[in-house]
Amino acid sequence: MNKNIIEKLQILADAAKYDVSCASSGVNKKNTGKIGSSQASGICHTWASDGRCVSLLKILLSNDCAYDCEYCVNRLSNDVRRASFTPEEVAELTIEFYRRNYIEGLFLSSAVEKNPNHTMEKIVKTLLILRNQYGFSGYIHVKAIPGADKILIHQAGELADRMSVNIELPTEAGLKLLAPQKTMKKLFLPMDQIKQEIGRSKYELARYRHAKSFVPAGQSTQMIVGATKESDMDMINITDQLYKKFSLKRVYFSAYVPVNQGGNLPAISSTTAPMLREHRLYQADWLLRFYKFKANELLDQSNPNFDKDFDPKMMWALRNIKEFPKEINKVSVNELLRIPGIGMISARRILKQRKIRNITFDDLKKMGVVVKRARFFITCGGKYYGEKNLDPENIKNILNPVPPYEQLSLKI
Amino acid sequence: MVYLHDGTFNGLLTCVYEHYYLEKANGIYPENRFEMELLEQEVHIATDDVKAKKVYDAIWNKISDEAMKNVYYTFLSNDYKKDCYILKYLELGFKMGYKVDNDHTNKDVINVHKLSSKVSKERHRLLGLLRFQEVGDVLYAPLTPDHDLIELLADHFADRMRNEKFIIHDKKRNKAVVYNKKEWMITDFTYENEIDVSEKERDFQEMWKGYFEHIGIKERKNLVLQRQFVPTRYRKNIVEFNK
Repeated sequence: MNKNIIEKLQILADAAKYDVSCASSGVNKKNTGKIGSSQASGICHTWASDGRCVSLLKILLSNDCAYDCEYCVNRLSNDVRRASFTPEEVAELTIEFYRRNYIEGLFLSSAVEKNPNHTMEKIVKTLLILRNQYGFSGYIHVKAIPGADKILIHQAGELADRMSVNIELPTEAGLKLLAPQKTMKKLFLPMDQIKQEIGRSKYELARYRHAKSFVPAGQSTQMIVGATKESDMDMINITDQLYKKFSLKRVYFSAYVPVNQGGNLPAISSTTAPMLREHRLYQADWLLRFYKFKANELLDQSNPNFDKDFDPKMMWALRNIKEFPKEINKVSVNELLRIPGIGMISARRILKQRKIRNITFDDLKKMGVVVKRARFFITCGGKYYGEKNLDPENIKNILNPVPPYEQLSLKI
Repeated sequence: MVYLHDGTFNGLLTCVYEHYYLEKANGIYPENRFEMELLEQEVHIATDDVKAKKVYDAIWNKISDEAMKNVYYTFLSNDYKKDCYILKYLELGFKMGYKVDNDHTNKDVINVHKLSSKVSKERHRLLGLLRFQEVGDVLYAPLTPDHDLIELLADHFADRMRNEKFIIHDKKRNKAVVYNKKEWMITDFTYENEIDVSEKERDFQEMWKGYFEHIGIKERKNLVLQRQFVPTRYRKNIVEFNK
């Protein structure tokens, strides 16, 4: 290995870092080749200076892009250093890093070099070398390049564990503005193909011994938060639709980081605003996927955006205060999950504990319930432990009191 | 009455056996860590594999496999009173059966669950944070874990690195997991010398460090968050955190 590779690795890591997904979860498999296995929970291997987990070797095959999307570092008209790996180089790096336990697998993406088919071919070739030559059976996540031939996407899907197509901007208008070479239709085409093939392979695997698996860890996508004018409601509705239409495993949100200056891009001096929005969207995403909330319950026309101070579940509870308080010892699990301060684990514990004996208010803390938030919304054995009345404004004041004095500045 | 054992898992189980068949114990401790107490009479219990097997089977059959895991993980933890907690937990378990793990409000259950989950969390963390270096034809990973858990890492890496020889070295406790491409075993192990790093190894370490530096987004820098995930005490064994 030489200087050249070190430099390329850094350029292409820089080019790939704005992709948020780094999960290695969703598939449990033992070593079926020569090296590599994966765990359903996923394993994080290190944490970068921004606090994000590094699980996969996340790189681009090339950042030499033929497209000119305004939000992207790698756009054609940007003056950045360009580099391309060969499939052999990526495969060797992956294996050597993997042996040293630096990474859990590979996340391979690429700019559109020359044309979609050329790029997808290179990606497939990398996977072929890894799987067949090195006998690698660890985790691989690849991008499906929109516009690439169906056969290439099919081949990649049989070799990878997860595939994703980034829709980046959630509306057609946004795409037209910032990424004129992309259209929704073109993006949805590979997503739909992947969905169909996952379904088919699941059906076959259940029936035939030699059926091939296809993208066993599922499909994901990513959207940028705060680059165009969509409200939180638009984002959540689209997310919900994506889960329903394409049976996605995950939708990722990435707070917009101003890497380019452009006429159509928002001018954001600090990145804090979209960061909090990103956080709220993830919270809402969890409510959709695990807590059985519906998109239209969380936001509506009169409140199109999430609150700065309160999480989406708390806001929902305060708006629907009529449904509370709920009796901890009686209500069903779905109702438990709707109480602020109670999560998946504490709800499960409450269910099991109820079978042994009734739960008292003091027990809740031991079971991991956040009593500070939950007490306004529950009764234990018929007794209410919150404030005198169930007034949303009053609860808001207690949870998030207006500070009596203001901090002037704190800069480190 | 306090029972002392030789520090092995079978030793602990023998003490539990004697608690039921000899005389009630107020506590169980490993010999080498026990600090003398004035009013307690101490009894050294010799490890008896037959008696231990009986207790082992009883936990398996009368309580549950989950309880077995909790007991074993707690045993591996670094807490001074861990064996006392296990005794209390098992007493309750033999009364309640598998339901003991559902009782999240009971002090004795909470104690064991807490320690067990500490060990389990550290194990999961180390599956990621452990770093191998190539030394000759062996992959060598030094560690200084809080709990005595390297054996819990062995199966994972023996499957994943099936065709590699490796050593996972617990520097705190001077023991190691050694794998020879067929099976792994635990042995006493000390290695104090500087490791002779080959040129190829240094290249990959440099590449990884370079990658690591570049993958962080500068605009979102958050070193406090990073330190929550990778506490400082683990960092000296992790290449990307060393100059």
